[in-house]
Amino acid sequence: MRYLMPLMLALLLALSSCGRSPEPREADLIFVSIEHKFLDPQRMTWLHDIRIGECLFEPLLRFRLTDMTVEGATAERWEVSKDGLTYTFHLRPAAQWSNGDPVTAQDFAFAWRRALLQEFACDYSQFFFRIKGARDFFDWRTEQLARFNQSGADKPGAAKLWEQTQKKFKETVGIATPDDLTLVVTLEKPCPYFIELCAFTTFVPNHRASLEKEIKLNDSTGLLEMDDTYWTDPKRLIGNGPYVLVRRNFKIDLLLHQNPCYWNKAGMGNTSILEKVSEDPQSAMMIYNNGEADWLPDMPTASALAADLVAQKRSDVHLVPSVATYFYNFNCSQTLPDGRKNPLSDPRVRRALSMGIDRDTIVRQVTRLNQPTAVTFTPPGTLPGYQSPVEAGTHYDIEAAKKLLAEAGYPGGKGLTGISILFNTGQGHETVAQFIKRTWEEKLGVVVTLEPMEQNNFADRLKKHEFTISRASWFADYRDPTTFLDKFQTGNGNNDPGYQNLGYDERLQQAESETDPARRMAILRDAESLLMSEQPIAPIYHYVNLHVFNADKVKNMNLNAWNFRRLELVKVEK
Amino acid sequence: MPRFILWRLLQLPLIVAVVFLVTFTLVWWLPGNPLLRPDNRPSPEIERALLAQYHLDNPVTFMGEYLRDALHGDFGPSLQFRDQRVSDILRAGLPVSAAIGAAALALAVVLGVAAGMLGAVRPGTFADWMSQSVVLIGVSLPAFITGSVLLVIFGGLLKWFPVSGWKWNDPGYLVLPALTIALGPAAYIARLVRLGLADILNDDFIRTARAKGLPPRKVLFKHALKVAFLPVLSFLGPAAAVTMTGSFVVERVFSLPGIGTHFVTAVLNKDQFLILGIVTIFSTMLIGFNLIVDVLYAAVDPRIELT
Repeated sequence: MRYLMPLMLALLLALSSCGRSPEPREADLIFVSIEHKFLDPQRMTWLHDIRIGECLFEPLLRFRLTDMTVEGATAERWEVSKDGLTYTFHLRPAAQWSNGDPVTAQDFAFAWRRALLQEFACDYSQFFFRIKGARDFFDWRTEQLARFNQSGADKPGAAKLWEQTQKKFKETVGIATPDDLTLVVTLEKPCPYFIELCAFTTFVPNHRASLEKEIKLNDSTGLLEMDDTYWTDPKRLIGNGPYVLVRRNFKIDLLLHQNPCYWNKAGMGNTSILEKVSEDPQSAMMIYNNGEADWLPDMPTASALAADLVAQKRSDVHLVPSVATYFYNFNCSQTLPDGRKNPLSDPRVRRALSMGIDRDTIVRQVTRLNQPTAVTFTPPGTLPGYQSPVEAGTHYDIEAAKKLLAEAGYPGGKGLTGISILFNTGQGHETVAQFIKRTWEEKLGVVVTLEPMEQNNFADRLKKHEFTISRASWFADYRDPTTFLDKFQTGNGNNDPGYQNLGYDERLQQAESETDPARRMAILRDAESLLMSEQPIAPIYHYVNLHVFNADKVKNMNLNAWNFRRLELVKVEK
Repeated sequence: MPRFILWRLLQLPLIVAVVFLVTFTLVWWLPGNPLLRPDNRPSPEIERALLAQYHLDNPVTFMGEYLRDALHGDFGPSLQFRDQRVSDILRAGLPVSAAIGAAALALAVVLGVAAGMLGAVRPGTFADWMSQSVVLIGVSLPAFITGSVLLVIFGGLLKWFPVSGWKWNDPGYLVLPALTIALGPAAYIARLVRLGLADILNDDFIRTARAKGLPPRKVLFKHALKVAFLPVLSFLGPAAAVTMTGSFVVERVFSLPGIGTHFVTAVLNKDQFLILGIVTIFSTMLIGFNLIVDVLYAAVDPRIELT
C-alpha cells in the first residue's frame, strides 16, 4: 500500500507529459466571455455586447483611457458654441467603412434617427433626448403610429406616414449635415456631458447604404422592419471600427480581424481578437489556466470562485472598483398592493431599517470581496467634479435605528408587519437577503420574510411596485451624477420605490438649466442629500469588477471603474 | 409491420400539435415579461414597440404568425438572443447534442451490458463487486460532479482532452462529455442486465441449451442476453431522446454549444419562441425514438405483434 501513492503519482505525471499539444493561437488577443444578446450597436445594453460593439464600430469621439479625457475618433476635431448648445463635428476624411466607403455625416444622422424610432427598440434612445426636438420627434412618432394602427391601415397610409416621419425628423430634430464631413448637433439645453455621450456605443454610425436595403416598411403596421440577424452575419456586417467580424459561431466563439480600411491601423496593439464563449466560470478559469486565453473579463463577482480567487491573492487577479451600486428599494407608496397602510411610507422606518444593515460584515463575510460599502447612491470619487454627500447617508447603528423605530410607532419592531425582501435568485442575492433578514429580526425585532423569484417575474413585480423591499442594482451609463439621480425622479420608469418628492424633482430640473458646472454639481449634491435623508433606498455596497490576466504579458489593458475598453490598444507579449 | 409504422407516423403530427398547444397555453400564461430586465427597463413606448415587434401583445396574432412561419421551418427569433433565429439555434445545437448523446448512449450500452453480465455470470466475486461499485457511483453521482472531476483530471491535469468548446473535426471534444452523460444510463442498463440475466440463466431453455452441449459463451450471448436485453431496449427509446437532446449541466461544464442549456434557460427567461421550437423538436424526437424501439422490439422478440 505504501508504494501505491507514489506509484500512482508517478503514473499521473508520466501520463500528463503525453497530453495534447496546445492548439495554435488563432488570434493575438484571446479572451473568454459569455454569449452575446445583440451585435446591433443601437440596441446594445450589456457590457459584453458593448465591448464587441466598440471593436466593430467607432463613434465620433473616444476616451483616452490613461487620463479619461475625450479625444477625436471618427471626428478629428469639434467645436462647441459659446452658449454650449451647438456642437460641430468635423469627420476625418480618412475614416472609412470596412468595405472602403467613406464614413459620412449622413451615416451618423441615419444611425441616430434609427435610435429614435420606436420600432428599433433602442433601450438608450433617451440619451438622444438631449438633442433639440428629439423627444418631441419620439413622442410624435409614437402618437402617429398609435393613430395609424387605430384608423385601419392601408398601403399608401404607411408610406405617407414614413414620408412625414422623415420630414418631421429633418425639420425638428437638431441634427444637420451641411456636407459629407460635417455633423452639426444642436441641443435642447446645455449638457456638459454630451461630448462624453458621443463616445458611447449607441452613438456610433451605421453604414447607411447597406442598411437602407435591409429595412422594409410594414404596410399594415406602419413600422419599419429589419432582420436582426443582419448584424451577426460576418459576410454582411459593415463596420467602421478597428476590427471586422470574420466569424461568429453561436455559443462557441467570435473572431475579429483588423479592419483593412481603419484609419488608425498604426495605433493598434494587435491585429486580431478571438472571443471564446463559456457560460461556466469554472470552465473559463480552466481555459485560462491551460494557457488557452489571455484574459477573463466577465468573472461573476457573486460566485464563490471569485471570492476564492481573491482570497488566494493571485497576482493575475485584478479587482477594480465599478461605478455601480447594490442597494435595497423601499416601497414608498402610502398603501401596499393589498390595500394595507404601508409602514415604509414613513422615512423614519426606512432610515431605521437602513441603519440596521451591517454593510461591513456583508462585504467581508457574505460576498467576501471587500467591496466599498455604500452610504450614498453615487459611488464617491468616481464622477468628475462631484462629491457624493456621504454625511447624509446612514451607517450601521442599531441603537439609533431602535430609537427611530420607536419614534415612528414601532418600539422594538412591534406592529411593523408584512415586511418582505423580494429578490431574484442566483448571483448571491439570497445570502445577502438572509443576512439582512437575520440582523433585522435579531437586533431590531422586525420580522421579515424572503421572497425569492426568477428574473422575469421579479422584473415584472418591480415594474408593478408589488413589493415592500426589493434588492436592486444600478450601473452608471455616463460620467455625470444624473446617470444615477434621474432614476428617482417622479414618473421615471425605473423609479422602483415609487419615490415622489417635489423638492428632489425641482433640484434636478434646476441642475438641468444651470450652466455653471460647479453650481450644477452643488445642486445635484443637494438633491442626493435629500434623497439620502429620506432613504427610498438603502445603499449597501458599490460593485467591483474582477479581471484575470497576467499584467506582465498583457499590456495596455487600462482597467478603469467605467469599464471603458480600447481593445485595439491591448498588446499580448508572446 | 408497415401498417403499424404508417399508422404511428400518421399519429405523429397530431401528438406534436397537442403537445404544441398545451405548451403554448402554459408558456403564454407563465408569469413574467421576457422583455424586461430587473435593473434597467426600457421606457413604456419601447416596451410596447418590442411587444408589437414580437407579436407578444396578442396571443391570437402571435399564434397565427408563429404557425405561419413554423410551417416554413422558421420558429421565430429568440427573445434571449434576439439576433438569432430559433431555427438557427436548433440547427447549430441539435447536431452537437445528438452527436454527444449518440456517443453517450453507445458507451452506456457497452459499459452497462458488460458490467451487468459480469455481475450476473460471476455473482459475489471481485469483478461483481467492482461492477456493482461502478454502477452505484454512476447512479449516485450527479453529472456536474463526475463532469467536473473528469474535466479536472483528463482535461486540466493530464491534458488528454480539450477543456471546453466544440470542433467537429476533433473527436477529442466528444469523449469527456459523452462519458459524463453515459455513466447514469450505463448504471441503469447494468442493473437491468444483471437482474434479467440472473433470472434467465436459471430458465429451462438455458438448461436445455447447455444440455445440448452448446458452449457457455454461445448460451450467454445468443440465448440469454438476447432476452435479457429486451427491458434495456425499451429503456433505450426515451433514453435516446433524453441524451440526444442535450444536458444543461454537461453543456455548461464543458462549454458545449448544444441544445440542453437552451431548454432550461429558455423556460427561465420565458423565451416563448425558443421554448415552442425546442418542445416541438423534442416531442417529435421522443415519438420517433419510441417508434424505432417498438420496431426493434418486435424484430428481437418474435412473440411481440405490432398492431
